[in-house]
Amino acid sequence: MLNGYGGQILRVNLTEGKISKEPTPPELARDFIGGRGFGAYFLFKEVPKGADPLGAQNKLIISSGPFSGMLVPGGGKCDWTTKSPLTGGYASASLGGHFTAEMKYAGLDSIILEGISPKPVYLFIEDDKIELRDAADLWGKGAIQVEKQFKDKLGEEYQVAVIGPGGEKLVSYASINHDYGRQAGRGGVGTVMGVKKVKAIVIRGTRSVPVADKEAYRQAGMALYKACKEAEFLPEWTRYGTTVVTSWCDEVGALPTRNFSAGSFEGGKTLYGPVMRETIVITDKGCFGCPSPCGKYSRSKKYNLEVEGPEYETIGMMGSNLGISDIEAVAKLNLLCDDLGIDTISAGSAIGWAMECYEKGIFTQKDTDGLDLKFGNVEAAFSLVEKIANKEGLGALLSEGVKKASKKIGQGSEKFAIHVKGMEQSAYATHNATAMLISYMTSDVGAHHNRAWAITYDLQVGRDKVVPEKVARVIWLQNFRPMFDVLGGCRLQWVELGIDRDLYVPAIEAITGIRRTWEDLEKTGERIWNLTRLFWARENEDFGREWDMPAPRFYEEPPTTGVTKGQITKLEDVNKLLDMYYEQRGWTSEGMPTSAKLEQLGMAELVA
Amino acid sequence: MSATLRPSGALKSYIGERDEVQVESGRTVRETLVLLGIPPEIIALVVVNGEQQAKDYVIQEGDTIKALAVIGGG
Repeated sequence: MLNGYGGQILRVNLTEGKISKEPTPPELARDFIGGRGFGAYFLFKEVPKGADPLGAQNKLIISSGPFSGMLVPGGGKCDWTTKSPLTGGYASASLGGHFTAEMKYAGLDSIILEGISPKPVYLFIEDDKIELRDAADLWGKGAIQVEKQFKDKLGEEYQVAVIGPGGEKLVSYASINHDYGRQAGRGGVGTVMGVKKVKAIVIRGTRSVPVADKEAYRQAGMALYKACKEAEFLPEWTRYGTTVVTSWCDEVGALPTRNFSAGSFEGGKTLYGPVMRETIVITDKGCFGCPSPCGKYSRSKKYNLEVEGPEYETIGMMGSNLGISDIEAVAKLNLLCDDLGIDTISAGSAIGWAMECYEKGIFTQKDTDGLDLKFGNVEAAFSLVEKIANKEGLGALLSEGVKKASKKIGQGSEKFAIHVKGMEQSAYATHNATAMLISYMTSDVGAHHNRAWAITYDLQVGRDKVVPEKVARVIWLQNFRPMFDVLGGCRLQWVELGIDRDLYVPAIEAITGIRRTWEDLEKTGERIWNLTRLFWARENEDFGREWDMPAPRFYEEPPTTGVTKGQITKLEDVNKLLDMYYEQRGWTSEGMPTSAKLEQLGMAELVA
Repeated sequence: MSATLRPSGALKSYIGERDEVQVESGRTVRETLVLLGIPPEIIALVVVNGEQQAKDYVIQEGDTIKALAVIGGG
């Protein structure tokens, strides 16, 4: 019995239709803890070198952690890991909602999807009853519609993770939708589910989870909830959720505007959190066990729809980044992406890139299927989202992501394809925010913010400063912050409410029986960081320093409008940041972990 | 002529680790933050008497102002 765990790993061989279980290895729990740690381990050890992300050798690994489904604020997270069809490297997407709790109660720490099913199926799990069932009648349907269909038929207690047409048609950044408005969004995890022909996973568990010390667990959990409930800014974070930062980003020049050509948007005010709250939000929505629900359910009268969201990232990428100032239009774009099953961040970036190509004359209406793709054209954006998901016309090109699309089109469009390692940059403009820039450059999945949201640190210490302290801060965040994804918990109670992270330590010990300080956890975080770096290098022969470079826009083209007008990070400083980063990580000047570093982390045998 | 400013946790270091500080009315929130040595650009949200306000809001006597910084996270 493994305290704090479901105790079993479920393998589903889709090619053969074979289902098997094995006990969760105690040493895996000891060394990699769970969630993102399990995902990185299984990916590195089990997906063979050179595997085609869309081939039978790739795997989709879904993992809960010790906090999942437990009396810990935010224990509603699970990790979805695979070899990314978007980037060719490591992909790990975090999913909130209630899926992970049911995994735990069904006794599962990881679900590993292997091979490719010969026909559309869905995976049904109800404790020990685990079956692959025919999904022919679900194929082609929208993700939200399919989830509702399952809930209507089976009941609310069943949790559903489902892909939309975008995943079926292998859009490179297809997402997995759950709880109507939560996604495992980034890196194409939905694409891999689509190529495996798994339309959905439906899960319900009814078992209890063994814990090491019940009374200590109760006390530690209650202490965490008490701290959340007493947090001074709980009402504001609950009222606005992640949209608290929309106005702030606009004010400091971090709001992506017209394909990141600027960081402040003249139409930004109508996208701000308080405006959204007053005009379209109808209620709050939280994940499993959440005391500070950041999800906002909205109703648009104009477009006659209801949607969970939009969150800040979607507002940035599908609002200001497209020159759109109508929050109701952003809500519609959000709903389209969720139901069609594509990532709002990558889709927003791809459409922004296409709009810039059009405004620069690289695309004409002949290339855009007649769409007048000017920034701010709401109807054109709606149409293009559908074209991407269905791979129609220009949508087929954009479905490959901006790195590949710009390489095909050329004509200088690579310079304004805003990505790192092939992953579209999320919604923080980094013309003059060097900590956030190095965070994006070195993030383990590509240009995503959730590993190290360092832009606040730029404001604290001076945004243009290129100093070792900034790099150290980013590395610390990269080692520490993703540990929430390892534990199966949400980081927002720490980020937003300012909960003392030491309050989590007794909870980990009471649940698992293993005492881990944050120093221990950060060490595990560093091991996982190095492991995923080695995965990138193993899978990409030319992997190295060039892969860590940001979009040239951030060191060549200062914005001509807004708060950051005329501001830029010099290429020399970009390189200086990378040098400092590699040195502090204990990596070579090409960004590879040295054998001494691997030895120090006790990883030499693991990666041999 | 005074009001109360309550900064979020990470900002308390700017006011001697106190929970709140008395500030003068008649100035904007932005001016008041500068006087306290708190960079206005690290404040994401200003809430006055339970209502969200801009940093240009002119403080009235008896107001309770909450200033939420985004520096604690990361």
